[in-house]
Amino acid sequence: MIRFNKWLVPTLYILFLMLPIYGLLSMSFKTTNEILGGFSFFPQEFTLANYKVIFTDPTWYNGYINSIIYVVINTLVSVTVALPAAYAFSRYRFLGDKHLFFWLLTNRMAPPAVFALPFFQLYSAINLFDTHIAVALAHCLFNIPLAVWILEGFMSGVPKELDETAFLDGYSFWRFFIRIFIPTIAAGIGVTMFFCFMYSWVELLLAKTLTSVEAKPIAATMTRTASSSGYELGLLAAAGSLTIVPGAIVIYFVRNYIAKGFALGRV
Amino acid sequence: MARIRFRDVRHAYPPPKGQEPVYALNEINQVWEDGGAYALLGPSGCGKTTLLNIISGLLTPSEGEILFDGKEVTDLPTSARQIAQVFQFPVVYDTMSVFDNLAFPLRNRGMDEKLVQQRVEQIAEMLDLTDNLKKRASGLTADGKQKISLGRGLVRSDVNAILFDEPLTVIDPHLKWQLRSKLKELHQQVGVTMIYVTHDQVEALTFAEKVVVMYEGIVVQVGTPVELFNHPRHTFVGYFIGSPGMNVLPCSIDGGQPVFGKNLLNIESRIKGQLQGKLEVGIRPEFVEFSDDGIPVKIEKVEDLGRYQVLTLTHESEIIKMVMAEDQTVPSENPRIQFDPHHTKIYCDDWVVEEAVNE
Repeated sequence: MIRFNKWLVPTLYILFLMLPIYGLLSMSFKTTNEILGGFSFFPQEFTLANYKVIFTDPTWYNGYINSIIYVVINTLVSVTVALPAAYAFSRYRFLGDKHLFFWLLTNRMAPPAVFALPFFQLYSAINLFDTHIAVALAHCLFNIPLAVWILEGFMSGVPKELDETAFLDGYSFWRFFIRIFIPTIAAGIGVTMFFCFMYSWVELLLAKTLTSVEAKPIAATMTRTASSSGYELGLLAAAGSLTIVPGAIVIYFVRNYIAKGFALGRV
Repeated sequence: MARIRFRDVRHAYPPPKGQEPVYALNEINQVWEDGGAYALLGPSGCGKTTLLNIISGLLTPSEGEILFDGKEVTDLPTSARQIAQVFQFPVVYDTMSVFDNLAFPLRNRGMDEKLVQQRVEQIAEMLDLTDNLKKRASGLTADGKQKISLGRGLVRSDVNAILFDEPLTVIDPHLKWQLRSKLKELHQQVGVTMIYVTHDQVEALTFAEKVVVMYEGIVVQVGTPVELFNHPRHTFVGYFIGSPGMNVLPCSIDGGQPVFGKNLLNIESRIKGQLQGKLEVGIRPEFVEFSDDGIPVKIEKVEDLGRYQVLTLTHESEIIKMVMAEDQTVPSENPRIQFDPHHTKIYCDDWVVEEAVNE
């Protein structure tokens, strides 16, 4: 009985988790009429038409391209800025370091909506409205503190004697930082990039507010439920299924390090 | 290679808010002769590591200057000082192979690759690392990694000094012995200055020609192991070196002779003049013996340590340790002891009273 329970509970749990995803997937292979007609567990008329529309219609696939562009910019900027900052927090003692370190987190305590309006005004004023950089920078507000926190944990796990040995062995600071230190904490950088990527990828409100046409993210495109041809639920389901793909790919690469990040209590 | 000199070096770490700085190092004037094998001995927190880091340039002292061969280097960065340092815990470049780790300090100085190969193999041979040269350094055990750290410290032959900061802490006891004799052997071959930090007196006394004893940020005595044993200049040295440590007992002076309890002690010389401060008499357990007349004591404990016995005695409330050969027997009634007058020392405020020795 106990052996039986051992796999029964996790199985039920996983089924429960997978159910909505399965629903989305199966919907994406149905026609809109079938979806509106009633519930069926398997697609009656299996169709790839929804996916075909997404991959051929620029208003759809540009959404993905836009999202990926600003997400990648954001991830790169966040990690590049956070690396030296995290190093400073982990290696040096300076006036107010602990307060500053905690203060970084307070940026994450406000909901993004708070910043939507000021950002909108600011970016409009400097002609950055509806650009990828606008969204990428806006997301930095949340991602840089997160990145600093995660990286600081990984860096503090590296003994400072490593730095000292490298200096003794004849390396200058920057050479050490780039050639030795960054490879040493590569796992931490991977985890950090993953979290920056995911946050920026799923964030909708700021991305939608700061864009109109040129840099419109896929999530904003998806909020359009009806078009001239009526409801397009099949299309939406297909688009939704595709948004899961990049995250799944990224998580595959960092799966072994995520646990370490959690163990450090920084994720 | 160089003669390293400390001139009035003091160092304080930044204190917590609103507190006076506490000096981790206080007025160090010390010369490290070129080619010497030094051990830096002292309890945890006495400033040993601070001193090492000041030599290598990882720390800049708050006051004073450091000279290499008479040239001031106080503000010179670590990489320009040509110092090798091995830390307590293994430091390896995880992303490199063992060979690359060992070759790293040489390659950074632009050494010819052929010579690098030769030198690394030589060091690997010495440290039993030859079989692992191709492996990634991250895959090794803790003592394997520490051997790499040691190897990286030893690989350059053109350094001014090699500093060891308790390098054998993580190493197995039997391997410790072996590595220490290898270090000594290497010192004799190359003749580079070595400074070895430890809080283990056995390690210090077996490694070094000269032992530098530190206590609360000052150097209390520099000397050969024999000097430290026979003539401790400070009660701390007497207490820290030797097992068990020196007996330090309160005393007073009467007519130039020390008095312990109500017993006049016989020493080689007379103390002249008045001494101000806390007066103590120091006697090593090895120089205490039973006698017919002397200080009456009570025997509290007898420990048999194989080749000798350690006795714990009390006179009034003072505890006295005594070492006795194994074949001697403990007197059964009214035991009395006396101190060897050649080895009885007087300390005033923890520092030895020199007159007692000189006259």
